[in-house]
Amino acid sequence: MTAQPVPGDGTAALESSANSADVHALEDVSVKLSRTATWSGIETQASYGPGDVQQVDYARDLGDPGQYPYTRGAYPQMYRSRMWTLRNIVGYGAPEDTREGITSALKMGTAGIDVVIDALSQEAIDPDHPVLSADAGQEGCSLPTVRDVEILLQGIDVTRTDVAWHSTMMIYPLVVAMARKQGKDLSKLQGSHMPDHLQLRLAGWSEAIVPADLGHRTTVDCIEYSVRHSPRWALGCPQAYDLRERGITAAGEIALGMAIAKQTLRDLENRGLGVDRVAPSMAWVSGSDIDFFEEIAKFRALRRVWARTMKEQFGSLDPRAQRLRIACHTSGRSLVYPQPLNNLSRAAVQTLAALLGGVQSVETCTYDEPICIPTESARELATRTQQILAHEVGAARTADPLGGSYYIESLTNQVETDALELLAKIEAIGLVKAVADGTLEALMDDYNYKIQKELERQERIIVGVNKFQPKDEAPTKRFTFDPAHMTSHIQRFKKLKAERDAVLLSDKIDALYRVAQRRENAHPAMIDALIADASIGEVWGTVRVASGLPYDPFRVLEAPFRYPVP
Amino acid sequence: MNARPTSSNKIRCLLGMLGADVHSKGIRTLAQLLRDRGVEVIYLGEHNTAAGIVNAMLAEDVDVVGLSFSTSTYVHYTRDFLDNMRAAGIGDIPLMLGGLIHRDDEPALRAMGVTGIFGPGSTTEQIVRFLQEVTGKPLSIANDIGGQF
Repeated sequence: MTAQPVPGDGTAALESSANSADVHALEDVSVKLSRTATWSGIETQASYGPGDVQQVDYARDLGDPGQYPYTRGAYPQMYRSRMWTLRNIVGYGAPEDTREGITSALKMGTAGIDVVIDALSQEAIDPDHPVLSADAGQEGCSLPTVRDVEILLQGIDVTRTDVAWHSTMMIYPLVVAMARKQGKDLSKLQGSHMPDHLQLRLAGWSEAIVPADLGHRTTVDCIEYSVRHSPRWALGCPQAYDLRERGITAAGEIALGMAIAKQTLRDLENRGLGVDRVAPSMAWVSGSDIDFFEEIAKFRALRRVWARTMKEQFGSLDPRAQRLRIACHTSGRSLVYPQPLNNLSRAAVQTLAALLGGVQSVETCTYDEPICIPTESARELATRTQQILAHEVGAARTADPLGGSYYIESLTNQVETDALELLAKIEAIGLVKAVADGTLEALMDDYNYKIQKELERQERIIVGVNKFQPKDEAPTKRFTFDPAHMTSHIQRFKKLKAERDAVLLSDKIDALYRVAQRRENAHPAMIDALIADASIGEVWGTVRVASGLPYDPFRVLEAPFRYPVP
Repeated sequence: MNARPTSSNKIRCLLGMLGADVHSKGIRTLAQLLRDRGVEVIYLGEHNTAAGIVNAMLAEDVDVVGLSFSTSTYVHYTRDFLDNMRAAGIGDIPLMLGGLIHRDDEPALRAMGVTGIFGPGSTTEQIVRFLQEVTGKPLSIANDIGGQF
């Protein structure tokens, strides 16, 4: 080590040689401790020692990796036996466009096909909606009918290939409808989606698109149908990622997600499906935010809370129900618009936290996520980030490498304690009520407001945002794609609606309306209607009308069907 | 910018979102920050049509309207919204945009009639100053230095 002057520490030299403006400039760029609490607000000591983990009992609280309560990981060998799945989400424009994106992602080394759906399809609204058509194919793939899923997945056997759908509403019925049309054995259906509708209600879909009660019932219906008919299909529930992004602490993610998981499992128990039939199909969809240690602690605390809840509260006897699998997408919210290349550093650290926390799959956000749909070069860098972590950094080498660290164990305990406290509060109100009456939205609003005030007071620093702002930065290049496929996609959609068998369609819509009105599981009837070429807007619109809601949440369209009089 | 005088001596600002966009956390936080400063915020939330927001503007007698966008379709939605405002005879009410507005689009947005653009890097203080300028009504002084959106 040579005796170089250290910036920010060489004050004596500076005093004699530089004017005060230079001193300030140097102090401004130096690194310093600007915060002693975690990103979620847990206060941290200067150091941790044996006294901070006295109450930790190895066998009771940690266990070996792959052993109850799974704090140290879901599997004994972790990434040596089951490497994490490197995922890359793809989705834009028409099915043909997204298919091209999938092909290029597979070429650059993505293991799983992971499709993101456009905002309209995610809200079960058709692409020809008179005031919303501009949103069709933006931010994801437009998939309004079974025929569109067939185009997207042409030549892909859904009983052999694992397609992960980054979507909640209508996607499972669409895929099942396609598999049934193709004569596939549903018991062999592969893939996953995220059936958690309550989180949609909280994450901006609002009461207009997904009322809490109807949403939750649809989640339970979907999981019931899937567990009974497609047991190999994985259910990303709770979808805690969007909750976290909407605005909640790491402990809050565990609390809200557990509240959703527990209510869903209780309702399924009442339908004759016990925890050991349902929970093995469930995976937690999680984020990985910017606070490295807190995220690692969160993943560890989460597995412990899950295992104990399944065993102690639901009477689970099957280790597969107690051993939580976690699908992780790094935090999009934490990435910022100014100087976007810095987002590569953020996403790399977040991905490493997820891996040291023992997750089963990771989608690393692209650095351009705050600016546009991921460009191909940004997607490639996200893939390379994971490859660097796997091959060079040693992230895959051993299970729970930070287990036993005084700080990590102490923080794991703290996150768990905070999570259980909030969970008890939510359950005392009742989950669906707390969603519907705005209690949980207010909690999230308060969190976001607090963060904003801290940013304004510089009690919380985000590089490039409220400090170290770049000067005269050139705008980043945006993703673009040729709208030609979208134009023909919407024409094709209108043509299909004009040419389909109207009598058959009307029968299936009638049947769906009656089932939904009786509050029975509408999934079989939804799937039948989709096979008869009903669109997602028509199917969900019918469920809405049967539930006493307007057909179109924007109140522009009238229902195109005459529904049976009860 | 000459805003029409409204019946209230406080700034009445309507905030909402158009289209399928679900990213509401920014505009919800802004609503609270502006209320802290004494702005009367009429918050419509997500999933509005242009006609719906314009009707609310008429009913609520607002001084200024703000839309937030986190999806790439904002140029289309803004043009349509301004057409709706003009057709309703309230084209003179200042419109501000926030969210993920790309700098490349700012000239086109201003040319079509957008008065304030608060994209990434904008501060609460900038928004507060804008509101005072376009309405001619004063707001309380913040104790905090300007934060970012």
